[in-house]
Amino acid sequence: MAQNEQTGIIGKGIVIKGNLTGGGDLVIEGRVEGQIALKNHLTIESTGKVQADIRAEELTINGEAAGNIDASTRVAINASAKVAGDIKAPRVVIEDGAVFNGSVEMDVKLPDDI
Amino acid sequence: MANTVIGSSIVIDGEISGDEDLVIQGTVKGKISLKESLYVEGSGVVEADIETQNVEIAGRVTGNIAASDKVELKSECRVVGDIKAPRILIADGASFKGNVDMDEKAR
Repeated sequence: MAQNEQTGIIGKGIVIKGNLTGGGDLVIEGRVEGQIALKNHLTIESTGKVQADIRAEELTINGEAAGNIDASTRVAINASAKVAGDIKAPRVVIEDGAVFNGSVEMDVKLPDDI
Repeated sequence: MANTVIGSSIVIDGEISGDEDLVIQGTVKGKISLKESLYVEGSGVVEADIETQNVEIAGRVTGNIAASDKVELKSECRVVGDIKAPRILIADGASFKGNVDMDEKAR
């Protein structure tokens, strides 16, 4: 836990409306509406519902997310997740069973002949 | 994992509501309304009106506080704002500026 000493948790019974910013890892089990900008890892648990534009280093979604996502390393949409919005990240993983509506931009340089 | 913790590097600008305990180590601006207990720890900075059942403050709070049960100001805290609650405890060393309303009729 030494690395995660600043982990924040938004529990099931909590609703946040507004802007959420900061460093450290964050786990959302409740509801967040607004904007999220995080320097580190954001996890949306299966009970979590997020209606927000999200910027983070890494994002793991097990719950519901609506809004545009911008991650600097990786986005993982797991089997239980429902996601609507556009995703921009170098690595995007969508598991079998996940529901996703939106566009993905991996910022990959395509070969010239395509 | 039921507890909600706003870590020391987190800043929230907006409204927080809910029906479980909340621990604030970071910064919250806006409004907080809870049905349970709120803990503002030593590193916590709150600029918000607070409505809750219990609140324990060891950090800094600017804003009006209304609690249905108890407000506790710990010795390290700095609080500016009006407090309304049936039970209010202020520890030696606490810094507080504002009105206190214990509203005995409500008991």
